[in-house]
Order: sequence, then C-alpha cells, then structure tokens
Amino acid sequence: MAAEPTTRELRDLVAEYEFERGHLLPALIEIQERYGYVSREAMEVLARQMRTTPALVYGAVSFYADFRTEPPPEREIAWCSGPACRLRGGDRIREALQYTLGIPLDGQSEDGAYGLRLGQCNGTCSEAPQVWLDGEVVGHLTVAKAVAIARDVRGEGDA
Amino acid sequence: MNDRFTAIASEARERWEAARAGGREQINLCLDTSSLARGGAETLAALRDAISAKGLNADVTTTGSWGFCWLEPTLSVRSAAGTRTVLYHSVTPDRVEEFVQTVLVEAGELPELALGVVEGAPSDQIAPLEDHPYMRGQIRRLMANCGQIDPENIDHALANGAYEGFVQALDMEAEAIIELMLESGLGGRGGGGFPAGRKWDFLRNATADPRYLVCNADEGDPGAWVNRILMEGDPHLIIEGMLISALATHAVEGYIYIRHEYPLAIERMNIAVEQARERGLLGEDILGSGKTFDLVVFTGAGSYVCGEETGLINSIDGYRGMPRIRPPFPAQAGLWNLPTNVNNVETYANAPLVLRHGAEGWSSVSTDEAKGTKMFTISGAVNQAGCIEIPFGLSVRDLLETYGGGTPGGVALKGYQPGGPLSGVLPAEEADLPLTLGPYRERGMFLGSGGIVFFDETTSVVDLCTYFLGFAEDESCGRCTTCFQGTQRAVEILRRIANGGGRETDLGKLEDLIQTMIWSNCLHGQFAPTTVKLALRYFREEFEILIREKRDPTRSLPGMITYEITSPGDPALAEAAAICPTEAIVDEGARHGIVDELCIRCGACAEVAPNAVTVRDRFV
Ligand SMILES: Cc1cc2nc3c(=O)[nH]c(=O)nc-3n(C[C@H](O)[C@H](O)[C@H](O)COP(=O)(O)O)c2cc1C
Ligand code: FES
Repeated sequence: MAAEPTTRELRDLVAEYEFERGHLLPALIEIQERYGYVSREAMEVLARQMRTTPALVYGAVSFYADFRTEPPPEREIAWCSGPACRLRGGDRIREALQYTLGIPLDGQSEDGAYGLRLGQCNGTCSEAPQVWLDGEVVGHLTVAKAVAIARDVRGEGDA
Repeated sequence: MNDRFTAIASEARERWEAARAGGREQINLCLDTSSLARGGAETLAALRDAISAKGLNADVTTTGSWGFCWLEPTLSVRSAAGTRTVLYHSVTPDRVEEFVQTVLVEAGELPELALGVVEGAPSDQIAPLEDHPYMRGQIRRLMANCGQIDPENIDHALANGAYEGFVQALDMEAEAIIELMLESGLGGRGGGGFPAGRKWDFLRNATADPRYLVCNADEGDPGAWVNRILMEGDPHLIIEGMLISALATHAVEGYIYIRHEYPLAIERMNIAVEQARERGLLGEDILGSGKTFDLVVFTGAGSYVCGEETGLINSIDGYRGMPRIRPPFPAQAGLWNLPTNVNNVETYANAPLVLRHGAEGWSSVSTDEAKGTKMFTISGAVNQAGCIEIPFGLSVRDLLETYGGGTPGGVALKGYQPGGPLSGVLPAEEADLPLTLGPYRERGMFLGSGGIVFFDETTSVVDLCTYFLGFAEDESCGRCTTCFQGTQRAVEILRRIANGGGRETDLGKLEDLIQTMIWSNCLHGQFAPTTVKLALRYFREEFEILIREKRDPTRSLPGMITYEITSPGDPALAEAAAICPTEAIVDEGARHGIVDELCIRCGACAEVAPNAVTVRDRFV
C-alpha cells in the first residue's frame, strides 16, 4: 500500500476503464485496493479518464460506505452493526470501544495508528457479538473482552 | 441432447470419479465465510500438515456449507473404499491432531463429533445424517451440492447435474421456457415474490436490444446470508439459472452484483464464470447453439439501497445508487437505459431445478400458495444460527424449535423479524404463522428474503425500533424528504422515548410519520417505518410504560438504568474497576462505588463482577 501515488501511476492504473461500460465503481475499487483510499487527485484523474467531472466521481465516492478519502489506519476494529450482534449487547460494545479508543465510529486516531469502523453483518451471526480486528472475526465477545482488545490496539494494556 | 455437452459432462464425470476412486480417504472440509470465522483456514492448514507429516493416504478438498454454521468447521470423511462417508462438526484447529489420529491413522470414528452418516450404513453410534434433527424436514434442492462439491472446480458441478437444465432449455422456444416457469409458480426470492416467468416475459417482449440480465446478490438485509451460502457453495447453479433466463428473454449479457462484504463469494463466482467460459458454457456460440451470453461479476461498495433493483442499475451504470422513479421499469429501461431483468440469486438458482424436476415436480414439494423450497437463515436469540432449505409453509415456531434450537438460557421468545430491516416485527403470539407470503402481507409487512431474526424477553422493542429506523436513516439515498427526514425524525423521537424523555404526544407523531413516509419514491422509504408500525400495534404497552412511568421493563435501555455496586466488598470489583473504560468505578477505601456521571452503561463491570453490580431503574 503505497502512501502517495503519483499522477502518472494513477493514470496508468485506470487507463483501461470506460465510463460507458460501467467501470466507475470497478475503477474506484481498484484505486482503493492499491492505495488504501481514494485521494482527491485520484478522483480528478479518474474523472478525466471517464470523460466526466470530479463532482460526479465524488458523488459516487461519497455515496458508498466502503470508500475512504483518507489513508486507512494501521490497525482497525470494525464493529458489527447487525441484528444478531445488537441483540447480544453489540451496542454496549460499541460504546465501550468508542470510549476506550477515544474516537467515534468511522473515526481514526490523529496519528493514524488505529481506527474504528462500522461493519455490516456478513452472515457469521453464529459468532455474535463480533468485531473484525484487522479483518479477522473476533466473535463471542463480551464488553470486557472488547475493552481489552481496544486497549491492545491502542498499545496499552496486555490483552 | 447436445453432443458437445454430453462430451463435456462425461469427461467431467470421469475426472470426478477417478478422483474419488483413488483408494484414498477423501476429506471435504467446509470453507465458507462462517467456517473461516471459526478457524476453518487453520483447520485446513493443520489437516494438510498432519497428512503430509504422517504420510497418510488422504485428499483434502474444500467445499461450501451444509448450513450447520454454528458448528463450523464441518468436514466429511469418505472411506478409502468409498463405501462410507461421515460428516463431523466443530473440527477446530486444536482438534485436528486428535481427529487425524483417530479417524485417519486408526481408521476409527469420533461419534461425539459426528453429525451423521452421509453415505453407507449407519452404526449404533452414528445415525444417518438425514435423521439428524437439523436435517429432518429439509428438502435440499438448491443446497443439494453445498458441502458436497468443490465450488472452485466445475468438474464437480458437472458431475452432479450442473447445466443439464440449461441444455434441456436449449431445445425449447423462449415462450415455452416462460410457460414452464409460470406453470411452476416460481416467485421472486428477493422479498417481493413476483412471478419470475412474468418478469421474464416483460423482457422477452421488450423492443430494444441489447438486453441485459442482472443477478441481485447484494443481500443487504443484515441477518440474511442465504445468497452467500449458494454463491460460496454452488456458484454454477446461479450461472445456469441466468443462462436459462437468457434463453427465455434473449438477453446477451448479465451482471452479478455482489456486495463487497462477500469477498469469498466474489472470488468463487469469478472462478465459476471463468471455468464456464473455458468449457464453452458462456461466451459466443454456447455449446454450438449459436447463442451468446456472457457474465460480469460486479462488486458493490457498501450501500443498502443498491439492493433495490433500480438503485443497483444506477450503481452499475456508474452513478450514485439512488433508486429511480418508475416507470419506466427495468424491462423497458434498465442498464444503460436498455431492457433489463433483475432477479435475486435464489430466484435464478431455482430455474435449473424447475427444468430438472418439471414444473409439477418442482412445485409439489410445497402444499402452500408459495411454491418450491426456500432457504432461510436463523439468527439472534437462538441456540443454533444456521442456514436451512425447507418448503414454504412451516410455522415460525417450528422453525425456531427444530432448526434454531430454541432460545438460549430458556428465556422466553418475545418476537421475531421475518426478513430484513424493512420487513417489520411480530410478537411471539404470532409465531404460529406459516412462513409464506400471505399472512405477512395481510399484516402490512412482508416475508422478506429469508433472514429470520428472533429476539427474547431481554430485548426492548423501543431499542429494536431505534436500531432499524437508524439503519434506514443511514442507508436512505436522500432523494425523498419523506424518507431521509422521516427516518431522522422518527429516530429522534424514538431516542427521546428510549432515554426517558418521551411525551404523551410522541406515539401520535410516530403514527403521522408512518403515514407520510408511505409517499416516498421507493420501498426503502415506504417500508422503513414498518418495524415501528407493528411495534405500536403489538407492543404498544412497552412504549406507554416508558413514556408514562419512565420505566423500561427489560432494564436494557442505557438511558433508563443505572449500575450500582450492591456488594462493595466483593473481590471481583478490583477487576471491574480495571476494565471500566471510563474509570467510573472508584475505590472508596476498600469499598467500591460507581460515579454515575462517568458511567456509559456498557456493563463491563457487571460481566466481571456479576454478584457485586446490580442494574437498577434510573427514574423509579
Ligand atoms: C431498500 C431495498 C433493498 C433491497 N435489497 C435487496 C437485496 O439485497 N437483494 C435482493 O435480491 N433484492 C433486494 N431488494 C428487492 C429488489 O428491489 C428486487 O425486487 C429483487 O431483486 C427482484 O428479484 P426477485 O423478483 O427475484 O425477488 C431490495 C429492495 C429494496 C427496496
Ligand atoms: S449480526 Fe453481527 S454477524 Fe450478523
């Protein structure tokens, strides 16, 4: 995951994409997979490639929850917002995570070391309540376990 | 019969049989998203390591899911002689060594982990799988291959009947295919239940070309994962269904729109499309028939309304995924304003089965008005969160008891949500309703796409309303004031009630909102308040107690409770104080107390010191 892509790199990356063929989303996904986020410049480059305006590209980026416009944090807890998790104390887990990390949902620490994100149920509800820690399911959580994980992500405590 | 297909299928079958006849033990390990969440990948690595370290004569194949999601990783072992296959559960990484030793090295069995005998004779200790309480009453047609074939190997699919329905349809006129679908009574599985044959006929009669098919694999309803199970378990069934639909509608290209939360389904669908293309089952001149049809696997990017068919079309077209104003309908102006048909994954997947079983054979499994089988996922306050396939018409209570394993800890059932955040909620007294379309429609709600969520007496209905309305608010596309402002206002009022600030006039306000939200353009806004509407009908008292008595009968709403230390000398309180994220637990000289202003009601202290911390009503 390179930090700052060059204009040339971006242009090469999206060179094959065409708006008329439904390529806006695939192009944005590819940009994000490569760089971790979609920068302002990436939106401009993509708009030129698609022969449209940055406003339209931004419109799509801002519509979808998955796109980031800032580099992702080094470590991330994604909190499952689904019903099975909610019914088993998921909301209390969210509250505890926010306080322990000192950031809101979909926020990240100022130094970019860690973040907290809203996750959607993907049907691993047998594990409820759960979070994804750096992409891996941690299930059958208690609030206490969630606090320990959050402290560990912050680099404190001994979870 | 198509000669080219006969050759392709028989070669595939030979390879499949050769692999199974190798005099080696065959292990089929379920590796779907649920299994991965429970250590499936580590189990796979440990199995492979153990087999090669011990030089054992066994092959490991990965498959989709049998539906025992809460018991993953599951795996079946087929004896080297090919006479007996046993399905096991909970083969977690730490159990692999024991498993390999007992089952592979000593050629024994592990009855305590066995779910049943899949093929061969049952024994005293292991009964046939079909007699397992979770399997009894299920009719596995869509899921016939799930757990039994490698979804990444088209030979496995072809050896088990894949594309036979399509080849049959190749010899039929488009009208005849549609006639067959209509006769079967196949209804859309994405929530609406609209007859698939009629929809296909709209596209067949379209006047412009090229025309498109879209497979809706957005599965946005949290708590539903039936489409995921199919895509991860038997992707070719979906491709075959789309091919049949293409023959009936003269579509030349199809899109499978999969939510980004399903990376494994995306990968497996891509592999399946690629392999189908290699065998000449997709692309130009399919099987020498002169027909052309190809597929694109398209990844979503996180938006619930993109599951609405016109939002989905906008999303592929490259715009914000806002549902369109209809008419025109997709069959007139869909993708790139060209004629398009949108169906759910499970709808397409049924088409090959209709051809294989015939309209009558397909529909006769269900005596209900809704025909065929339906996949359901069960979650929430249940002991067994999993996926099943049953004929329409089973009662919700039977589904909960038989397949969901009842509610945990013997807490009474309070109610359920039949299918998705827009579908509404019903109380336990309505759990005798059959799982079919009519009864839910009559109650101003709908059955939905198959994700049934149960909740028990510990849950506050006001919290559920706040949650589902909050979801609808977050996911509103923003087009209609009635939807984006309506959900926002409803959430404000619900929050106020949930925090003890409810007013006598609030319920009337909510009822007014429900009336105006009906005017929204798409079903998202129209159905967003369904949960509140039904909650006010069936659980009104709970709202009234909250408003009038400032009391939450479930003692679960954070705004309505306080945590109090009732055994200040309890040694567990030291740990509770250490875990409290806000340092609200203070040590008052060997005796602990909670500073209420700091407490965020997360309940961590009550978890670690259950005998010392008591939850009390805040206002009474
Ligand atoms: C807000 C909203 C979300 C929807 N999400 C889905 C979905 O995730 N999957 C789906 O198949 N249908 C979904 N639908 C229904 C689709 O609009 C459409 O009716 C369906 O894909 C048609 O397929 P079927 O006739 O095979 O059921 C949704 C509808 C609405 C209003
Ligand atoms: S609700 Fe959290 S995984 Fe389904």
